[in-house]
Amino acid sequence: MGVTQILFWVLTVLALGSALMVVTSRNPVYSVLYLILCFFAISGHYILMNAQFLAVVNIIVYAGAIMVLFLFVIMLMNLNASVEPQKNKWLKIAGAIAGGCLLLVLVAAFKDADIKTQLVQTKDGEIGLINNLGMALFKDYVVPFEISSVLFLSAMVGAVVIGKKE
Amino acid sequence: MNAIIFSAIFGVVMMFSGVFFSSKQLIRNLAIGLMAALLVLNAAELQGYGLFDINLNNMLHFTSFGLVFNCIAFAATFIYLLLSARDIEQVGVNLAEYFALIFFILCGVGIATSFNSLLMLFLAIEIISIPLYILTGSDKRNLKSNEASLKYFLMGAFSTGIMLMGIALIYGATGTFSLDAIATATKGFETLLTGGLLLLLIAMSFKVSAAPFHFWTPDVYDGAPTVFTSFMATIVKAAIFAAFIKLFEKAYLPSVASWKAALTFIIVATLFIGNITAVFQQSVKRMLAYSSIAQAGFMLFALFGYSDFGKEGILLYAAAYSAATIGIFAILLKMSDYTFDGYNGLAKREPVLAFVNTIFLLSLAGIPLTAGFFAKYYMLVAAVKSGASLWLVIFAVLCAAVSVYYYFRVIQAMYFKTATTEDVTTAPVTINFKVILIVLAAIIVLLGLFPHWLFTKVYF
Repeated sequence: MGVTQILFWVLTVLALGSALMVVTSRNPVYSVLYLILCFFAISGHYILMNAQFLAVVNIIVYAGAIMVLFLFVIMLMNLNASVEPQKNKWLKIAGAIAGGCLLLVLVAAFKDADIKTQLVQTKDGEIGLINNLGMALFKDYVVPFEISSVLFLSAMVGAVVIGKKE
Repeated sequence: MNAIIFSAIFGVVMMFSGVFFSSKQLIRNLAIGLMAALLVLNAAELQGYGLFDINLNNMLHFTSFGLVFNCIAFAATFIYLLLSARDIEQVGVNLAEYFALIFFILCGVGIATSFNSLLMLFLAIEIISIPLYILTGSDKRNLKSNEASLKYFLMGAFSTGIMLMGIALIYGATGTFSLDAIATATKGFETLLTGGLLLLLIAMSFKVSAAPFHFWTPDVYDGAPTVFTSFMATIVKAAIFAAFIKLFEKAYLPSVASWKAALTFIIVATLFIGNITAVFQQSVKRMLAYSSIAQAGFMLFALFGYSDFGKEGILLYAAAYSAATIGIFAILLKMSDYTFDGYNGLAKREPVLAFVNTIFLLSLAGIPLTAGFFAKYYMLVAAVKSGASLWLVIFAVLCAAVSVYYYFRVIQAMYFKTATTEDVTTAPVTINFKVILIVLAAIIVLLGLFPHWLFTKVYF
């Protein structure tokens, strides 16, 4: 078992464990902190695949900007376990059964998918390097790249419409 | 390409019009004028006068079906703006921004009818959805509007997550987003691909509010400002159906036999839940929300019986359903009371409104001589031709019969009941409003007599 594999398993356990904690912890502030931890673990995976740019962007944008904003909002709203609304017990059971069924079906279906033979490229993969990423973005995917500007513009207009004082 | 680029530009123009013009009337007329220009530009592309020649990397593929669909959507929006632009003013102060968001949604509609890559499908659905979340919540002082917006946003974001998961699995199986490549890869029964397609089917069913993924629809349609409910129940829903049918053609058709069972379940559940629940509604607005679920069940037959006939049918259905529903909502907006009782004695107060409303309702119910009849007829014939079992068709016809009950309740209230209280009023309507409604009713009757008129421009 090489260093890469050890790192992979450590990061995987970290990512899955913190993702579980996001859902189960009672205090929303802890949830956000675990989510940040989860993003860091996933960034570690990106680095293992030699996608440094994605790893850095993931940390700056998600763990840095968005989650800090999240944290501020939660702290400003002063949410804690005591004001959390009590959920119906049957609703919880129904949710668990429904989610469990989906998990069961997906695991049962994908456990013998033939993708298993194609391993991910570690260390020497080049697609995640910023040079190749730029080429893909501005050559092959330039149309969706440009059109997504409409999406962001409409989101900005919406933020102003919702936020502006009447 | 004309439709996508110009709707985005016009959206920006509308955005800035709010800065430069203070007159509401000017902004309104500008929006209507730009809408007409967009319709003309799209029709020009249908005639072969595309203004842009861009290397699209096969991400978008413009077919006559998609362009005709755009024409229907833009014409419906044009009529919608003519009828209801004044009511948009009542919602809030950001008039120019509301029009800008509507143009951005139309840009999404243009992409939804022409995508050839799952990436573009995702962008189209998001460009349509995000402005809708905002329009739903635009009545900021109304708690119901806020609730509807938040509910719509959370559910919509969740379904988008499911859709992305599906797209990721499909990418994992085929190594590409291109629909053409997926169409050739679907020959066998591949686990990852099937799983991805299933998740994509769930997400698309959510977006068209097919049962059992319909729970958001009544609350959102009921809570949103009525003038925007009209827009999202008609033009947006039809556009997502156009995307769905395009996706189905490429991604699901090669293995259609294995999808028929799932589709049958969705259709039966949608028709049953939509029609039966609509019967018990007291508010006309909520009844229209359930009726839009029921109509989605009929539109799903275009997927079930996929063929040129089914594609013609969905065009006719989109036109008939949009025209009738926009008309009904425009009249509903003039009522002070949204319950069935609010319509009591409308025939005495406003005979013209009551008459055209009757034509719209008859069209939705699928009575002969209206466009709705042929729309339903095309759908069912397409299903029969594709080998649907007879009980499914009989079930659909029975559901249509149930729908007659709740549509006729409105007609009964208008003609055979008298208003008991004095406070049931109708907002004053202009002569222009009546003329446009009569034109709309005439279109519905003409399409009911000559449905093939719509298909002359479509060479599949």
